[in-house]
Amino acid sequence: MRRTILALILCLLFPFMQATASVRCSDEVFLRRAYLTVTGALPTPKEVVDFLDSPAENKREALIDKLIQSELGLKYMQMRWGDILRIKSEFPSNLWPNGVQAYNRWIYEQLMNNVPYDKMVRDLLISAGSNFRAPAANFYRGFQKRTSKNIYDNINLLFLGNREVTDNGNICFQQIKYKSTKEWKEEIVYLDIHKRVPNQLIELDDCTTIKLQPDTDWREPYVSWLTSPNNRRFAEVMANRMWYWVFGKGIVHEPDDWRYDNPPSDPQLLKELTDYFIAQKFDLRALMKKILLSEQFNSADNYTPQRLPAEVIVDAIASVTGIWSTYTSRVPEPFTVYPPKTRSTHLGDATVSSSELELFGKVSRDVSLESQRNNNITSRQLLYLMNSSALESRIRKSQVLQRIYLQSADIEQLAQRITLLVLSRRATKDEVALYSQYMAQNNLPLMEAAIDIMWMQINSNEFLYNH
Amino acid sequence: MRKIYLLILLLAVTLSAEAQRAKSVILVYLDGGPAQTDTFDPKPEMGRNYHGNFKGVCKTNVEGIEIGEKLPLLATMADKYTLIRSLTHGSNAHETGHYAMITGDTSGGAVVYPSFGAVISYIKRDTYKGILPCYISVTSANSRFNEGGFLGNQYKSFDTGGKPESSEYEVEGIVNKHIDRQRMDSRMALLNNFEGKGMDKQTIDSLRGVNMEFIWGESREVFNLKNEPDSVRQRYGKSRLGQSCLVARRLVEAGVPFVNVRTTGWDTHKKHFSKMNTMLAVLDRALSALIADLDSRGLLDSTIILCGGEFGRSPKVLWEAPWNGGRAHFGAAFSYLVAGGGFQGGKVLGATDKTGEKVAQRPVSPCDLIGTVYLLMGIDPYGTLPHVSEGELPILPSLLDSKKSHGLLYEIIDIKKPDHEK
Repeated sequence: MRRTILALILCLLFPFMQATASVRCSDEVFLRRAYLTVTGALPTPKEVVDFLDSPAENKREALIDKLIQSELGLKYMQMRWGDILRIKSEFPSNLWPNGVQAYNRWIYEQLMNNVPYDKMVRDLLISAGSNFRAPAANFYRGFQKRTSKNIYDNINLLFLGNREVTDNGNICFQQIKYKSTKEWKEEIVYLDIHKRVPNQLIELDDCTTIKLQPDTDWREPYVSWLTSPNNRRFAEVMANRMWYWVFGKGIVHEPDDWRYDNPPSDPQLLKELTDYFIAQKFDLRALMKKILLSEQFNSADNYTPQRLPAEVIVDAIASVTGIWSTYTSRVPEPFTVYPPKTRSTHLGDATVSSSELELFGKVSRDVSLESQRNNNITSRQLLYLMNSSALESRIRKSQVLQRIYLQSADIEQLAQRITLLVLSRRATKDEVALYSQYMAQNNLPLMEAAIDIMWMQINSNEFLYNH
Repeated sequence: MRKIYLLILLLAVTLSAEAQRAKSVILVYLDGGPAQTDTFDPKPEMGRNYHGNFKGVCKTNVEGIEIGEKLPLLATMADKYTLIRSLTHGSNAHETGHYAMITGDTSGGAVVYPSFGAVISYIKRDTYKGILPCYISVTSANSRFNEGGFLGNQYKSFDTGGKPESSEYEVEGIVNKHIDRQRMDSRMALLNNFEGKGMDKQTIDSLRGVNMEFIWGESREVFNLKNEPDSVRQRYGKSRLGQSCLVARRLVEAGVPFVNVRTTGWDTHKKHFSKMNTMLAVLDRALSALIADLDSRGLLDSTIILCGGEFGRSPKVLWEAPWNGGRAHFGAAFSYLVAGGGFQGGKVLGATDKTGEKVAQRPVSPCDLIGTVYLLMGIDPYGTLPHVSEGELPILPSLLDSKKSHGLLYEIIDIKKPDHEK
């Protein structure tokens, strides 16, 4: 009854919704939004100028294609997968650095080769072997309690958005066993293929039944059912998750909480997206591109700004000041020091962190829920931005800012360069006037004004949000 | 079933009747794992293969209690603290030992528990009205696991950063030597003029306003060690650890409920004895000054001090290469010093065997220690915490498991064991 009323209301509203088509955002807004969404990085000043000055008609689409395939784009996507697959050396996943590295490489290769989603999930779930040599097998290792129930619950959460499992599909994962080798921290995931087939039938939630055959991999029939295009929920959850990754809010929200009493906010949109994803044979890049070309992503007024994720803020501050943090893994044997200028989005291991990443809410990868990422701004984060010596000294020691200062003849040139660097756009006339006035009023030399302008822009909401 | 409810009710009544003894906790965390046999549980009769280069002991001012030879200052005040010599969790891995000692959770479950500092911060979220954060780490927390656990980021510690031992202690976000009030005011004015609409502007503006009061208010002076006479600073030692302990005392005076003083370098696989020579002198000075200072200010009664690491070190010295006189990780039996806030002084709880390799008397699990801290802080150690998807979870799951817990430490606190727990 309630649903009918809702449908009626929607039908009545629909023509109006169509009529209020949103205003298209400017190129400078689009550029920054696309960079931050796809790569988790700011565009360089040169990239900003090139894009803004390009007369090409299809330049937005061309940019999307470029970014999705770029190293930065692939690595940022790898981080999103790492978050929900809980890739971490130590507690609670305890994959160990070698395992983490192999697992990350595997994900990167899937993304680089644009392996269709159904195949990627199949290869992940039908995995076995050494954690160092058969990277996908790490999927079965990252559990504190390695029970078929925990594994099956996780599969349900990740690929079906199902938080409460009521069926007995976990039986399909009861052959999984683990054994260590003589190699330090190497472990083999294998199947007890001759395990006696249980008497009961597997009855999945959608009334599919599976009859297990002796001496076979019991995961096989389950995974075939799971990843089939006929299993619409499988495609829906991924389509919705991608939408969530782009907008910070799912059509079904939370994106991993699918229940009959948690309906999609826009069923038609979800249907179109899912149909497209299936028609494109589970092509993840095509799915993302479709979302990035959508009216909503290109909208000036119908896009909800999102605070940048912890890693993205920390990297953005590092890239505009040119002073990067050094990351090390405290896990011994070997101690790992990441190369200079490593982006925190590329660390690949939630065990590696820093005070700043913790402050802004880096995901600890304890659970597979998207909600583990908290992007609400807090007073402590603002305190850090407003008055920390860490940020202050980065700005003061910034060679990038020093160079800008040396290249600029006056406050206008200086303001233009800083704005291009920090806010990825050109400064307006009003802003230049504001800066000149500020410098004069406070009687500041040009370099000190430069420091304050950079401080102010880093503190601005425009910098802290993807908008 | 009803009986259990009655018992819980009874416990709640008893707890609220007991006036909360402790107001604050200072955890002096020796990150890496200190050697219990060189500190609080010496084994002088065991020969050089065990006691290594430290053959002697210090007799303390309490008859019958001896501690390591490198801790002469602490030896003068054993009546103020109790030594727990029978801590055990059995793990020799840093991350697991650390997790156990900082959360009290040894259940091996899939849920990541918050650190006990975060738990205290969560419990006091509405009642604590101080200007400073409820849970502060001097100078940084151990980020080896997510110490907000399932409670979330907001209960993690505030890391001060900076160098308390230097002439200018810059506290992240609070004290920034480059910027005075006037410069900050003009920067904020510039920011206000620049900010457009949207993007949570109202919330952010109000948070910034609160921060400005915080930065330029009393908090600043709490961290200003120049407010201390030089004699006091000297007494703690001008080391990182010493001055951090002094900061901890000032924070406790200001009412902060949980201060984590973390000091690193205790993972001494190699060059153990030469490192201990200097590190133990630093620890002895800092910790004894902290205890004495709190005591003389009448704050020891309301402040719990805990000192120890994620585990101990092997009682047997590894003289062979590549260690050449080191000690390995050891989680089977190790020690903690506890003082103040309702912990009695002048006692030893538990004992290890002759070699120090096994617990011989009164084993103590991490959950027993942390549960007792909760009890003294007026927090029900059998209470629950909300988990986003699992509902209410026990605050200390291991305390409910007779295989994991050996009972709260009623032997060394002034609170009597309730009848139903006997």
